[in-house]
Amino acid sequence: MTGGTDGEGGGAAAMEERIAAYLRDQLDASDLTLSGVERIAVGWSHETWLFDATFTRDGAVHTEGYCLRRDPGNALLREMSDLGTQFRVLQCLEPTDVPAPRGYFYESDPAILDAPFLVMEKVPGVCPSPWGRDGRRFYEEAAARGELPRSFTDALVTLHTLDWEGAGLGFLGVPEPGTGFALGEVAKWKRLIEATGVEPDPILVDLIGWLEANAPSTDRRALVHGAYRTGNFLCHEDRVSALLDWETEVIGDPMYDVAYVLSDLNREGTELLSNLVERDEFISRYEAGTGIEIDIDACNYYQVLYGMRSAAFWMSASGLYADGRNTDLRLARTAWSIPVVLDRAARDLGY
Amino acid sequence: MAPDELLARLSSTLRHDIGPAVVEPFPKTQAFMASVVLEKLAAQIRLAPAHAEAEAADLAALAADLPGLLGSGPLPPAVAAAADRLAAGEGAPALSALVGALWAEREALGPDRFAAVLGRARTTMRARIDRQMEYAA
Repeated sequence: MTGGTDGEGGGAAAMEERIAAYLRDQLDASDLTLSGVERIAVGWSHETWLFDATFTRDGAVHTEGYCLRRDPGNALLREMSDLGTQFRVLQCLEPTDVPAPRGYFYESDPAILDAPFLVMEKVPGVCPSPWGRDGRRFYEEAAARGELPRSFTDALVTLHTLDWEGAGLGFLGVPEPGTGFALGEVAKWKRLIEATGVEPDPILVDLIGWLEANAPSTDRRALVHGAYRTGNFLCHEDRVSALLDWETEVIGDPMYDVAYVLSDLNREGTELLSNLVERDEFISRYEAGTGIEIDIDACNYYQVLYGMRSAAFWMSASGLYADGRNTDLRLARTAWSIPVVLDRAARDLGY
Repeated sequence: MAPDELLARLSSTLRHDIGPAVVEPFPKTQAFMASVVLEKLAAQIRLAPAHAEAEAADLAALAADLPGLLGSGPLPPAVAAAADRLAAGEGAPALSALVGALWAEREALGPDRFAAVLGRARTTMRARIDRQMEYAA
């Protein structure tokens, strides 16, 4: 959720009516009404609204669930994440087995809701945050039942075995063979750091130097989610019902996602990967499902790269608050997350 | 009351008195975040004089060690310029420039010289991040 944008307090009712008016036009349903409208406080990059729309079509009353994401223009990853790209990805994924919401509409015209937005399917499920006590308990209990950990791994297998070219996802850009993917990611996060206008910390400079000098060479290519962990997918009846947060997806080395799963950054107070799955079980099921042998050296490299990415995130986030572009105090707090990730990066580099 | 003590007290009030009284989830989170920010800011302000002194001493020691580590042979201009900036007391930006120049010129420096200078710089960077972690962690 972002601060200083429309839709809070008295603005919420107005936004609800504007969304309803838009959908009446799109669905050609003049009697359409919204219910259960909820602006949820998840994610740091886009506003997210959930609601049900009830309307008459062909003489029958329909109720359908929708999720609307709006780009407030002042949130995290503004320079990197584009709703139009997300919408296109969702459209490409619709005929595939990758669990993802169906994308219905995308509007770049700010005249409609003051900012670009997309409307997608409201998929059944819950998305507990793994960072809170309740979320940790949720995943701990799901891990004990066993089905969700398998579904978590299987969804990644589905993603990494997807014929991404056939699905039309080549528009995301295909890295050059060899070190092209790793160096491309380093360059991408370097641009975000440079966009902050803040002098990089010496450790960050060291980290970037090391990453550029040690990029792994690989020709593996897959659709990579970029943030594959609990908290970024919906769970329904102990299954992954939809992968969310299509903001860092890229065509590249699937080990980038595997490294994220293996990272101890994404678990708290447990040995279970992503608070959910046992390491050995994940590795054997993933390798059997994909036919890809996990490359631990590449994973170790990508985990160092995630340190750079985190530093870039937090520099960008705290900068948004410092510049007065966003009033969300969660962003202000991230200024003190930068030393934490750099401390870890220095340890990764051996000091 | 010293500024850091005032900030710490404000943080405590937000955490223990204001935050719990807020019902709406988003403002409640904001109150808690404000408390965290003030707590960290208080510690940073309290430690700032000692940290600044230690940082200056560390960077001066690094600058003094550099000529011996870099040797008397020809130096890539970017490395020489960064070493000069450190010697001139330009602080952390000069250290960043040095580290960046080392990586950019590692072929020209050769593996031994590169490792020796970067290793020495890393000692300074470790001490620096340890200080920051006193208030950031």
